[in-house]
Amino acid sequence: MKFRTIRTLTSQAIKSLKRTTSLTTVLVIVACVLALSVFTLIAVNLTVMGQRMQAGVELRVYLKDDTTEALKNALEKSIRSISGVTKVVYVSKAEALERLGAQLGDENAFFFDDMPNNPLPASFDVSVRRADAASDIADRIRKMQGVDEIRYGPELVRNLVGALRVMWVITGAVAVLVLVGASMIVSNTIKLSVFARRREIEIMRLVGASDVFILFPFVVEGLLMGILGAGIASAIVFVAYWAVSDWVRAAAPFLQIVVDSEWLLRAALGVVAFGAVVGIVGSAMSVRKHLRVQG
Amino acid sequence: MYGVTKVYPGDVVALAGVDLSVEKGDFVFIVGQSGAGKSTLLSLIYRGATPTKGQVLVGGRNVIRLKRREVAVFRRKIGVVYQDFKLLPERSVYENVAFALEVIEAPQKEIARKVSAALDMVGLSHKANSLPGQLAGGEQQRVAIARAIVNDPLIVVADEPTGNLDPDTSAGIMALLSDINCRGTTVIMATHNQLIVDRMRKRVVEMENGRVVRDERQGMYCHEV
Repeated sequence: MKFRTIRTLTSQAIKSLKRTTSLTTVLVIVACVLALSVFTLIAVNLTVMGQRMQAGVELRVYLKDDTTEALKNALEKSIRSISGVTKVVYVSKAEALERLGAQLGDENAFFFDDMPNNPLPASFDVSVRRADAASDIADRIRKMQGVDEIRYGPELVRNLVGALRVMWVITGAVAVLVLVGASMIVSNTIKLSVFARRREIEIMRLVGASDVFILFPFVVEGLLMGILGAGIASAIVFVAYWAVSDWVRAAAPFLQIVVDSEWLLRAALGVVAFGAVVGIVGSAMSVRKHLRVQG
Repeated sequence: MYGVTKVYPGDVVALAGVDLSVEKGDFVFIVGQSGAGKSTLLSLIYRGATPTKGQVLVGGRNVIRLKRREVAVFRRKIGVVYQDFKLLPERSVYENVAFALEVIEAPQKEIARKVSAALDMVGLSHKANSLPGQLAGGEQQRVAIARAIVNDPLIVVADEPTGNLDPDTSAGIMALLSDINCRGTTVIMATHNQLIVDRMRKRVVEMENGRVVRDERQGMYCHEV
């Protein structure tokens, strides 16, 4: 397509965009994208918080009683070499007993009186970076020589990972809903545009205009609607998030919400790109349908 | 056109086994009552519709087998004129004619040259800047004809082009179509206008209930007994 043609068709699209129905559509896109942005930001923040919480997850690796010093050292080295392991602390049999004693308190000290020897095994306390990797790491350690048993909070970890997954599934569902819903609204608006220019389109087709030529102004109109709507929404979210994050940092510093301007800018651009997709999908849907019907 | 049948949804038979051959440079009137299948027949020529059965060949090409993209290019070789002119009311006469070239992305210079020539041909150069609404019916039809011929088509298909016009104006339009035909363009025209058909004595194809019932060289509107 020639540049002159693109310019002419784009100005047609802009002219058409100034109609009230188009502006209403832009506002609806703003509302939809705002909802999606809020969900996404909540999901992102929960994920980051979750990751921070998960950083404290520990595995307790119990050793067999007959483990030699050399084997213990080799085992510690092997565990440290596993990626995702952040810290390994050795707890000897004596230290384990001490810990238990401290947990039970003095009033229960009699419990140990009749004990002929220390039944508690030595162990490694292994900290891992990500909770969702804990299970894999545990599996690897379990196969190592000298390891008797491994305990960690799989339920807690699974619940945390599960909750985050649900949050992301909801966000994904909202994204799909917004994509479909907003595209349909764009599609309807473009349908009105097509209807307003049906005579022109009919003549275009009669004199041999290509589909691309006929489609172009409508797709540009949809694209502009999407970009405009998403752009306005992301600007609102950008400013509002900045204000809210300032307030949260002051009021509840332990929440540690994400405030990374580069990340936010990238997210805003992503939202605008999402709007562009909504616009193109919506307009293409209605115009292609129109061309198909008209043959 | 060979063995062409066209059935619309609801089992409405518009054409039933039509065979018709038109030579290059011919002038053909398609006559018959409303609903006889005239408009359907014309629309098959410019691929406004496809037949349910049979083949349509235009300029040696089977138009049914054209792909979407090829249909657009094919239509550039056929000028279509309607009873209701189909002009864009908010565009000037010049812009309406130029529109046919703009949408196929012809160069500006070529557009200016061809539009001027087409408006000269239909005698409306002096009204190039008028809007269609400011013109009389006959003048509007001339603009539509200018648009149909501006791209030098092989065939002009006209569906009742004089249907909305008085006899004098109709005569002017027919003189114009005759001129276009004399320059080598095939003209196929559906009409109810007996006066015109009888006066011009061109080939007449009469249709009835979707069938060709008469095909006469230098024919009259009604069958001569």
